[in-house]
Amino acid sequence: MTNAYSRFLSALFCLFLGGLLVWHVLLPDRVRSDVENRTLAQRPEFSWSALADGSYTEAVEEYFADQFPLRDQWTGLKARAEQAIGKTEFNGVYLCEGTLISKVEAPDEALVEKNLSYVRRLLEKTDANVYLGLIPSAAEIWQEALPAGAPSWDQTELLAAAAELGLPQVNLEGALAAHAGEPIFYRTDHHWTTLGAFYGANALLEAMGKEPLSREDFTPEIASENFNGTLYSQSGVHWLTPDTMEFWVEDTGLSVTSWRTGSPEPGSLYERSYLEQKDKYSAFLGGNQPLCVIKNEAVTDGSKILLVRDSYSDSLAPFLSQRFSEVHLLDLRYYRLPVAQYATENGIADIVVLYSIPNFITDKNLVFLAQ
Amino acid sequence: MVFSSLTFLFAYLPITLLLYFLVPLKWRNLVLLVESLFFYGWGEPVYITIMFVSILIDYTHGLLVEKYRYNDKKARWFVGQSVVFNLLLLGFFKYWDFLAANLSLLPGVNLPQLNIPLPIGISFFTFQTMSYTIDVYHRDAPAQRSIIRFGAFVTMFPQLIAGPIVKYKTVAEALDHRVNTAEDFALGARRFCVGLAKKVLLANAIGALWDAQLASAEAGTLTAAGGWLGLAAFGFQIYFDFSGYSDMAIGLGRIFGFRFLENFDYPYLSVSVTEFWRRWHMSLTSWFREYLYIPLGGNRGGTAKTLRNILIVWFCTGFWHGASWNFILWGLYFAAWLILEKYVLKGVLTKSPGWIKHLYTLLVVFVGWGIFAMEDLGVCGGYLAACFGGAPVWSAADGYTLKSYAATFLILAVASTTLGRRCWQWLPDKVKKVLTPVFMLLALALSTAYLVDGSYNPFLYFRF
Repeated sequence: MTNAYSRFLSALFCLFLGGLLVWHVLLPDRVRSDVENRTLAQRPEFSWSALADGSYTEAVEEYFADQFPLRDQWTGLKARAEQAIGKTEFNGVYLCEGTLISKVEAPDEALVEKNLSYVRRLLEKTDANVYLGLIPSAAEIWQEALPAGAPSWDQTELLAAAAELGLPQVNLEGALAAHAGEPIFYRTDHHWTTLGAFYGANALLEAMGKEPLSREDFTPEIASENFNGTLYSQSGVHWLTPDTMEFWVEDTGLSVTSWRTGSPEPGSLYERSYLEQKDKYSAFLGGNQPLCVIKNEAVTDGSKILLVRDSYSDSLAPFLSQRFSEVHLLDLRYYRLPVAQYATENGIADIVVLYSIPNFITDKNLVFLAQ
Repeated sequence: MVFSSLTFLFAYLPITLLLYFLVPLKWRNLVLLVESLFFYGWGEPVYITIMFVSILIDYTHGLLVEKYRYNDKKARWFVGQSVVFNLLLLGFFKYWDFLAANLSLLPGVNLPQLNIPLPIGISFFTFQTMSYTIDVYHRDAPAQRSIIRFGAFVTMFPQLIAGPIVKYKTVAEALDHRVNTAEDFALGARRFCVGLAKKVLLANAIGALWDAQLASAEAGTLTAAGGWLGLAAFGFQIYFDFSGYSDMAIGLGRIFGFRFLENFDYPYLSVSVTEFWRRWHMSLTSWFREYLYIPLGGNRGGTAKTLRNILIVWFCTGFWHGASWNFILWGLYFAAWLILEKYVLKGVLTKSPGWIKHLYTLLVVFVGWGIFAMEDLGVCGGYLAACFGGAPVWSAADGYTLKSYAATFLILAVASTTLGRRCWQWLPDKVKKVLTPVFMLLALALSTAYLVDGSYNPFLYFRF
């Protein structure tokens, strides 16, 4: 090796390592990552005690990784490399012909049993009608699309167990399976699309003996053609065409009240500012909140429904508002008062516990149903 | 700190290199010592004291051994002290809980388990410092008069936490008079990139498969085919993990002006178990041969003594890998195969065609990895039973696994042979000159991508 060539290789090596270090130092620290939807670790405070117990160096490593330059691009490069060697699973997400489908891991059976028992306890606690709606995820409805033999937990196991509970079920599995050929789930996000939510709403109305909605009554508005959802983030697969997000229900005549901070504030059916951000699904009702009430003056029969729900209901609720005077949405992650009491106080006759199956089998807040 | 971390690659290493090459030659051992202590203290701030004690004791013992060079009894006494000190250090931190737990099974014995975290690299540095006083005693190297140089040898961060086990005599000369050349730097950097890619791109990728197979063994869904896929995955993982780490260590050593001995020599090409152990973790096997097997008398005392010595050495080799019964079993498992080869299979093996010998060796070694990988002997037994027919042969999930990992396995198998090296040597110099920097950058960039992805932790409101 000539001296000049040795120097060249050495310089290359040092420039790569040192260059990224300098870049890291010069790059202003970010507070949060929109792609990962979380706050990033910040420069830790030094203390001798933190050094001695090892927490300081650990925090530095976390800070260094979180603030690393081009984080999202590196992840994308990794996904590309994995694809090149024939992988179809990317951090727990399957890539199936332009569609990302999240793998469902086998749940903790004791937790599932407990969660089902909490639903039964709610039934005992309240005089209202209680319905259970479990929404299968794309891994179930679109299982034909998964790579051959790719493992994902059989979600019908939960549906079978739920059928034993002795309360009316919303047949969401049937409703979605009947339209499996249509874009009922996003390709880059784990939620159902507005179309999927429409079929879900009709399944619910049917279970409650209400008149179904007709597709002709809606003129879909394209809210965004540039939606890269959670699966885009989780997988690192950044090369798919972004999803299109639609709003079907018009918000005229609807009044939305949100309890985000403990007191009622005016909300809106569509929080359009989210459409400019990464987290576009939060445009529906403005994302996570403890309690939300949608009132429709046009429905004059005074009917009220309470959904104990996850985020799938954000896009479903607009449809239900077409058939009920009041739709109450309650999120047990943030709302900690008894559900039965809420129904009584608000004169609500129908409660629907409505969860996507991956959430139902892992959620640890359902215990509040039993209060 | 581990080499395959973002903090090491993009903060510690560039700063360390900068400081080391900024200071004049005579200061470099001191800089290396301070840097290495920082490296060790990063993960183990409190245990840095062990380093100081260890340096101090072995340094003085080296000098004492040399002082009593002509009084063999005294010299041996000091060698013995140093060996006992190092073994006590290792014994206390690594083996106390194991011994306490097992001895407490005896009636009337009740020893407390202390649950002290294991100081990083203790198995490696105690062996290195032990070799020092012994080398001095055998006049394989002069005693080191400078405590800074000696400290730099003990703590030298490239090989501190995962070897290779560098004997003092290997680096004695370089500690005192070394030159740093641009060529050493370049070759060292190239070697480091190879090791990094082996560790981050190959070992980690296949490690995920082993984890999945182990989980399915525990869930009771493992098939025979799945079991063998898992063993193959683990065997490749440990080879590329460990030899990648050794490559990085050797490369870094070279950058700093040291030549460490090779630690792996294409072990999976071996055609006998005996040969495998000449090619696998060579610094450890040669350490045990030199400082245990031969002092015990080696094979010069008749069959009975040879058998005893083999059993002792392999018991220790197994136990060195971890304070748990499965490691002891693993060591004795190899002792049994080595003895069999030495006395029974020798004739059969020489007459067999190469591919049979190769297949036999891989089978023995990979089943051995099963014992090595599963500390719980119950789990281990269940897993191996599944491999040997105690479970359905095949399931659809295996097809998916095989398809997902086919390319990875192919790359790993090829990378375990000399094919890549021969192709490389066959290339014209001009092409090599162009490809070297391209491959180096590719290794660095892809490894960075995998490391960043490993820290990538999307919070998925997902769960909602």
